[in-house]
Amino acid sequence: MELLRTENLCKYYDVKSGVFGKTKTLKAVDGISISVDSDRVFAVVGESGCGKSTLARLILRLSTPTAGKVFFKGNDIHGVRGRELKSFRKSVQVVFQDPFASLNPRMTIFAILAEPLVIHNIARKKDLRGRVSELLETVGLKPEHMNRYPHEFSGGQRQRICIARALALSPELIVADEPLSSLDVSIQAQILNLLGDLKREKKLSFVFISHDLNVVHYFADTVAVMYLGKVVEEADAETIFDDPRHPYTEMLLEAIPRVRVAREETVQRRRRPGTVGNGTQGVAEAPPLGCLFYPRCPRRMSLCSTETPGLRESGGRKVACHLY
Amino acid sequence: MAADGRRSTTVARDSSLLRIKDLNIHFRKRGGPSAAVSGLELEIRHGETFGLAGESGCGKSITALSIMGLLPASARATGKILFSPRDREEVDLLSLDSAALRSVRGKEIGMVFQEPMTSLNPVFTIGYQVAEVLTTHEGLSARAATEKAVELLRLVHIPSPERRIKDYPHQLSGGMRQRVMIAMAVACNPSLLIADEPTTALDVTIQAEILNLLVDIKENRGMSVLLITHDLAIISENADRVAVMYAGRIVEIAPVDLLFRKPAHPYTQGLLQSLPVARNIQLKPIPGSVPAPDELPPGCKFSPRCAYRTGACDTEEPQLRMIEQDHGTRCIRAEEIVRQGATWNY
Repeated sequence: MELLRTENLCKYYDVKSGVFGKTKTLKAVDGISISVDSDRVFAVVGESGCGKSTLARLILRLSTPTAGKVFFKGNDIHGVRGRELKSFRKSVQVVFQDPFASLNPRMTIFAILAEPLVIHNIARKKDLRGRVSELLETVGLKPEHMNRYPHEFSGGQRQRICIARALALSPELIVADEPLSSLDVSIQAQILNLLGDLKREKKLSFVFISHDLNVVHYFADTVAVMYLGKVVEEADAETIFDDPRHPYTEMLLEAIPRVRVAREETVQRRRRPGTVGNGTQGVAEAPPLGCLFYPRCPRRMSLCSTETPGLRESGGRKVACHLY
Repeated sequence: MAADGRRSTTVARDSSLLRIKDLNIHFRKRGGPSAAVSGLELEIRHGETFGLAGESGCGKSITALSIMGLLPASARATGKILFSPRDREEVDLLSLDSAALRSVRGKEIGMVFQEPMTSLNPVFTIGYQVAEVLTTHEGLSARAATEKAVELLRLVHIPSPERRIKDYPHQLSGGMRQRVMIAMAVACNPSLLIADEPTTALDVTIQAEILNLLVDIKENRGMSVLLITHDLAIISENADRVAVMYAGRIVEIAPVDLLFRKPAHPYTQGLLQSLPVARNIQLKPIPGSVPAPDELPPGCKFSPRCAYRTGACDTEEPQLRMIEQDHGTRCIRAEEIVRQGATWNY
């Protein structure tokens, strides 16, 4: 069942270069249409500056789109007000990247976790402590932690608190914007397991924003690859990792470092292919004519410099490339 | 190590360039000194890439800073860091005065830091900053140094370097800035290049380019590289030997393939089982988190998080011991752990 849908979603920013410089338009998100089903993990991957966090903010209604619409269970979330808006806020929660910046240092953990329950009238005052204890246990912390302040916790524990806060209102969708990238590997695995458990037990859906393709491969059901504000490829995780089509997806997958162990005793240098280095990342403010990926593409054709490829569907996957 | 003929150094490959002996680093604190690195022993050989892995706070960066003589004022290092570059006598870097240290730092040992924006001076052009290394250490004239700077920027694949030398750091992308840092670090053809998380701030595709560049330069110039990273995959692809640090100690040291095939310390094993390498496999994270430096247990520092813990682990801290050639571990049950074999999936 479809939970969330975006239709031709756009967010443009005006960027001024220099004091007397001309104002240019930066297309952070440019015509994105995605659909997230319930009980699924929809991952958005791409390099920094590709617009994936802007997309998350638009989905969360933390930012107003320049054009396009976001529908949550059929309601246009940028059009709702009052009670409907409050219900949207309850159903869609967020976990941010930096758990150090997303917890108020002057509030105890109890205050942080009880606040959404009070605002949304979920629990009566005498039930609050019990409910907060439950939440802490769900994310693997202890009830006695509730009287402490954020600075008393490590990064991994803080991210657990952020997850507990997101769970407080029993949401249907959690938007997680790089929830693991500030954590060490061993802690990252703990949080990844926690998210997996929550997904199974609570039938939660995720919009999972990440630049770490190993994590996405592990956790996601559907993957959308973004490049300079546009989705260039979208498919099931298995499909995209086994058989990437878009040259940018191929480039990304080739570039991920992987633990590889030579079975023989001879040590071989496992060098990444040199195709990756085809100039610097394109600049978002000045998109070249035609395909945005043209300047970096190892498989470009003359057609690509004159005509922008649209996102076309074929065989259960979508690719924006003239090759397909 | 297999003879693969990819190095062109005149010095025997197995001779050591840098030997760290019983390095201890303490920070002065109100409640008494706090240890950041304890009893660290390692050797970097001529022409090799040595990986130093571990999670944040394990002491890997502070070790690098102590080699460079760049420890913060509140830190004190004891022990020996013996450095023997190609045509010079062995020196103990920890015993050098600041003038002698300056002649080594930047000349014999170059360093690339994680954040290229904060390591470059925003008010000077990149050409000036690269040339400065050469006027300082090689005594070149400003003109000759600028010419050499252009060459160096070309070496690190910066397009049209003649024009780029007039750019300021803010005009470059993160990957380009890191290239400039590498150009500065290798300007004087150092014997050792320390790269501390050189690609952590960069996107994956740029990361791959920078790592390839580092390897090329290393091989062309016969340098040794100390590659510090939290990313085990980067270590597995680029290092010859690797040491894993935990709580200021080396807990395992091995040639890179041995470490990944036969991890002999529960912490290394835990790290490998935490990597999301295949779908639908339950990750086995290490329980708990790293204790604060002044809350470390008396025996094995990893024991509170260890699945193999026995009574003996609590009383005495195990020393780093060799279980086979070149393969050391700080675990009393290492043989058992190796015998039980691998359960990870890469």
